[in-house]
Formats: sequence, C-alpha cells, structure tokens
Amino acid sequence: MIGPLIRNGIISDGTNYVFAVLIGILFGYALQRSGFTNSRKIASAFYMKDVDVPVVMVTAIITSSVGLWGMSLLGLIDTSQMYFLPSYLLPMVVGGFIFGIGMAVGGFCPGTSLASMVTGKIDAMVFVGGFLLGSLLFGDLYPFWDKFYNSDAHGVWRIDQLFNINLGLAVLIVTLLGVFGSLGMRKLQYKLWGRHD
Amino acid sequence: MKKKLWDPIFGGMMIGLAIILTFFISGRGLGASGAMTDFAVWVQNLVAPSLNQTSRYFSRYVANGANPLFDYLVFMGIGIMIGSFLAGIVSRDLKLEVLKGPNISNKGRLWYALTGGLLVGFAARMARGCTSGQALVGGAELSVGSWAFMLSIFAGGFAVAYFVRRQWL
Repeated sequence: MIGPLIRNGIISDGTNYVFAVLIGILFGYALQRSGFTNSRKIASAFYMKDVDVPVVMVTAIITSSVGLWGMSLLGLIDTSQMYFLPSYLLPMVVGGFIFGIGMAVGGFCPGTSLASMVTGKIDAMVFVGGFLLGSLLFGDLYPFWDKFYNSDAHGVWRIDQLFNINLGLAVLIVTLLGVFGSLGMRKLQYKLWGRHD
Repeated sequence: MKKKLWDPIFGGMMIGLAIILTFFISGRGLGASGAMTDFAVWVQNLVAPSLNQTSRYFSRYVANGANPLFDYLVFMGIGIMIGSFLAGIVSRDLKLEVLKGPNISNKGRLWYALTGGLLVGFAARMARGCTSGQALVGGAELSVGSWAFMLSIFAGGFAVAYFVRRQWL
C-alpha cells in the first residue's frame, strides 16, 4: 500500500472526504488540548511570555517533515503524485507580515479561531466574522492586487534547492534548528518573564 | 476546574501526525483558511451572487453552478470544529466568554478581534494559505515561500505587539 492513497486508487473520493473529517477531528482536538483556543495564550507568543505556540508549530513541522521525507525515502509514498505548495515569494512575505499583525491584534489564526469559536469564546466568533469579510474583500477587489498576487512566482521551490544541498541534509538542518530554536525560545521566555505565569 | 494542557511537544507531534496522514492519504496538506473562504463565498452567493460571478478570484469557486462548500477543506474544517468541541467537553472548557488581558474591556477586545480577523482574512488569501495550510504544511514540505511566510508572520506580530499590549498583558 503506497501513498497517496487517493492518487493510487486505493480509496474513493468519498472515503477521502471521510478521512478529511477524521484528520480534522485529530487536528482540532490537538489544537484545543494544546491551549490554542485561548487568544491570550496565542498572543503571548509575541511578547515571548509563553512560547508554547511556536514550540508546537516547530514540533509539528519537524514531525511531519521527517514523516513525509522519511516515507518517501522508504518508498512508502510517491511524492510525484502529491500536490506541493508553490512559492510566490513577495506576496507571501507581505501576506505573512499583515497576517502577523492581524494575529497580534486579533489573537487568532484561522484554524485556532474555528477551534475556539465552538468552545464558546466570543472573541473567536467575532474574529471569524472579520475573517469572512477580509477574505471577501480580497476576492471582490481582486483587480487591485492580482498583479502583485501572481508576482515573484517560483513554482515548487524547496530549501534544499535554494541552498543547493542534499534533501536529507536540509531535513536534518531544519530539525536541529527547530530543536535548538525551541530550547532557546523557552530560555528567553524564562529570562524575560520568570518561570511562573 | 479545567484540565491541564498537553505538553507542547506532544501537541506538536499530534498535529504533525495529522499532517502526515493528509500527505499519505490525500496527497496534499491540511488547512483551515480555505474552508472559511469557501463559506464566505457561499454566503456571498446567497446575498449578492453577481459579486462572485464578476470576481476573477471567486468565479472559479462557483463555476458551472458548483457549490463552494463541496470542498476537501470544508470537510476538514467541520472536523476541526468537532474535534475542538469534543476536547472542550473532555477538558471542561465549554463556556461563553471573552478571553483577554485584565486591562481592556470586553467591547474593546471584540473590536480588536474584528480588526485582526479582517487583516488575517485578507492576508491569508494574499499568501495563499494560513498558519496551518501554508506555514506548517509548507514548512514540512521545505517550501521556501512557506518558510518566508512563517518568518514574516512573527516579524509582523513582534512589530505591533508593543502597541496592542494593553489588550493582552
């Protein structure tokens, strides 16, 4: 059984949608149990007062990166059958900067706002309302930024290709940077805010 | 009494596992913002369908009478809400409330939430994804654009944190 299961005809479209719900349940459950339904906890990351959010993010990336490229190495998944995200560098940098401002102001990202809303957090419900308006604004006024949105296109572009290094080495470097980065962030948190909060 | 949170390393590994499963089963990543935009387009289709048809960005969502809600990411978004609700029951954290720091009123906090939501909703479309579908999934794929997006999120957040500290600290 080689992945991706949907591409290799092992499961049907319908089964794929069932899995989408099940994976969503795992994701939502993990978000809530990690404390990500609390806007104040999320925003605390931007003061280095509680670095749980970046530590969880880094851990999730390392886990899934080692998982993906490890499966590929072992022949368990055919990456040529996968959809990879293309890089539009400048729109992603500008989008990311606005996104970060929005997170510090609003206290959520999209996934955490959905997860928080259903646990009764009113600030999450309002944030979701703002999100819906914001994305409509983008699409309805698309001619104002469609040129920029499609600029600086690099297709599928990976870090190992950028630095011209071996893919496995890139995974190893990301893993090490993630581990030491997480330890460093935690140390900084304790230094700035003490061990109790 | 609320239950103690998961250790962040364990939480991160569980989210990583969810991403691995989408790779292996569906050949793509997970995501959250896509479903929310699908829903926004669906609502706009009820109140002002002409806006969807004339928008070069949204027209593909409703091409040939397609329902924008019939999308992989919408199924996933429903799952996210079910999962978080279940976790809320388990951890006794289902409560109507506004979360914020002690130095701001509820009303003030909600204005910030609305403004932040607007910015994030716009920016997620500009960046072709959010913290889940772009930063985490693309980060695992080692995508240059995704890593640039993630670093920019923290740059933007740190840049304005001082000015909104009244809300959180």
